[in-house]
Amino acid sequence: MILGVYDNPDKIYAATKKLINSGYSIEDVYSPFAIHGIDRLMGIKRSRLSVAAFLFAMTGLSLAVIFQVYVSKIDWPMIIGGKPNLHIPTYIPITFELSILFTAFGMVASFFIVNRMFWGKNADIIDPRVTDDLFVVAVNIKEHKTDVQALNQILIENGAIEVRERIKED
Amino acid sequence: MSYESPIRDQLVTGGKTYRDVTRDITRPLENPPSKGWWIGFSLSTLVLAIWIAATTYTVIVGLGAWGLNKTVGWAFDITNFVFWVGIGHAGTLISAVLLLFRQKWRMSINRSAEAMTIFAVICAASFILSHMGRPWVAYWPIPLPNALGTLWVNFNSPLVWDVFAISTYFSVSLVFWYIGLIPDIATVRDRATTKARKFWYGLFAMGWNGSTRTWHRYEVISLILAGISTPLVLSVHSIVSMDFATSLVPGWHTTIFPPYFVAGAIFSGFGMVLTLLVIAREVMNYKDYITEAHLDAMAKIVMVTGTMVGMAYITEFFVAAYSGVEYEQYAFLNRAFGPYWWSYWTMMSCNLIAPQVFWSAKARKNPKVLFVMSIIVNIGMWFERFVIIVTSLHRDFLPSSWAMYTPTVTEVSILIGSFGLFFFLYFLFSKFLPSINMAEVKSIIPTHHDDHGHADHHHAHATAEKGAVHGH
Repeated sequence: MILGVYDNPDKIYAATKKLINSGYSIEDVYSPFAIHGIDRLMGIKRSRLSVAAFLFAMTGLSLAVIFQVYVSKIDWPMIIGGKPNLHIPTYIPITFELSILFTAFGMVASFFIVNRMFWGKNADIIDPRVTDDLFVVAVNIKEHKTDVQALNQILIENGAIEVRERIKED
Repeated sequence: MSYESPIRDQLVTGGKTYRDVTRDITRPLENPPSKGWWIGFSLSTLVLAIWIAATTYTVIVGLGAWGLNKTVGWAFDITNFVFWVGIGHAGTLISAVLLLFRQKWRMSINRSAEAMTIFAVICAASFILSHMGRPWVAYWPIPLPNALGTLWVNFNSPLVWDVFAISTYFSVSLVFWYIGLIPDIATVRDRATTKARKFWYGLFAMGWNGSTRTWHRYEVISLILAGISTPLVLSVHSIVSMDFATSLVPGWHTTIFPPYFVAGAIFSGFGMVLTLLVIAREVMNYKDYITEAHLDAMAKIVMVTGTMVGMAYITEFFVAAYSGVEYEQYAFLNRAFGPYWWSYWTMMSCNLIAPQVFWSAKARKNPKVLFVMSIIVNIGMWFERFVIIVTSLHRDFLPSSWAMYTPTVTEVSILIGSFGLFFFLYFLFSKFLPSINMAEVKSIIPTHHDDHGHADHHHAHATAEKGAVHGH
């Protein structure tokens, strides 16, 4: 991989656009904060985590309703203060809370799984400065096929402050 | 790219670069704590000791240690519980509601506000536990199969709803806070010069590497978390208010409670945020991040929500008069002119009258005024809950059972001590975690900051210094 290091999100945006238009394959762009629009530029499809979130919400909702109905109508019906056993409106608060709880935990757990993030993971850090103030674009190259000279040219012309190569470990 | 309006003032002043942001905000984490920190931390530890002593005493002796009687069964305990839960709400409001409304000024205050939420909910939960009298059976409101032949909880009870609401609120706030922290923890990890820091921050950074694919998913889940936290925060205080509103006690049995409690929660929460941030920006020198514009915006919210609760107080009075219900009318007259009149008028003057000072732009930008006002707001909101709970209970339907309530030393100690618990946690947070969201603040800094003549010089300097830090 060839890494182009930038110090400005606008410059790396322009550089990435140029590289994609010139047909290079971008491994990833690393940045200290989300650069808006660069994900679309790289052709990343909208994450399906929102669909997952909805499914988790529905799971929480149905479990809460089933459980409350089972407890108060089927398992041990009791008359408290002359109120009916099955009273759907009073189940709404708990159903709502459990839907939220399931959504939050389910979605965040899925987020960690799709990113392969876990506690204590040894981070594959492309450059320690990308969590500070620099932006790195990683371009895939094929041995003897990619014109590295031209690639470097594009990176530098768009304001790279550093260009270097990184050999993939795997 | 985000659009930078030429009219609006900069959200971050002082011409900060990305490097400056990292350096300024990680400074307290990477250096020995200042004298001010040690003084504050020691003081809050002392107060925390009071809390531990008074709570332990209550648990050993039982609720007889408190000034409760058969008429006033809820007093300081639930007052403090509602007070702390309310304070927590500003954190979620700032990070979730303002995110949905795309208010970018939230970015330098949301981290500490969210921390405040978590610590305030911990304080609130401690009151729930201690008011049970037998905290070792605190799991009884959770519907678990049990030895009593699976005798379940009563799902018609708002107290059971509250168990679900508070625990969901606490865990979702914690997750939201942690998700926001991950990129910043990674920043600290990548700057770490000591083994311990590298290990601990590396452990919690979960291998974050700032890739665009991760950032994309991160943005999606942040937005959804904000989306679900917004109704959550509204539901939590609505359910807290239903603990009162679904009863038949005059003064509690009102339909205005949910919106009125939510407005009050935002009001008191912003009061506490102001207390913390006015100090933090002085002590930690964050004046470029938490600017006068931030203080101004928060003061405006304090004024609006203060006026909203003030209107709710007056509406309650009107509805009581208009309802024609004798008990309801008496409950309100007793609040304002009965034996606890002083608490009622403290509440009125602190919550409705005092915040009107923020009509003046000068007052909104003066940290001293803001600090004093934030304390007044907190006092006022504590008294609001005291008024609602104690004055409604102490004179109920039968004059023969009327009683007065006076707190004991133990109860006052637990209240004071809970501030020790809160600030103890807050000081630890400000030492070990970045108290401003660096990643978000960097995203609102203008990107053209280095297009000046000395740009090259600046880069050379930055790279050289970086090399020294990372040894390459």
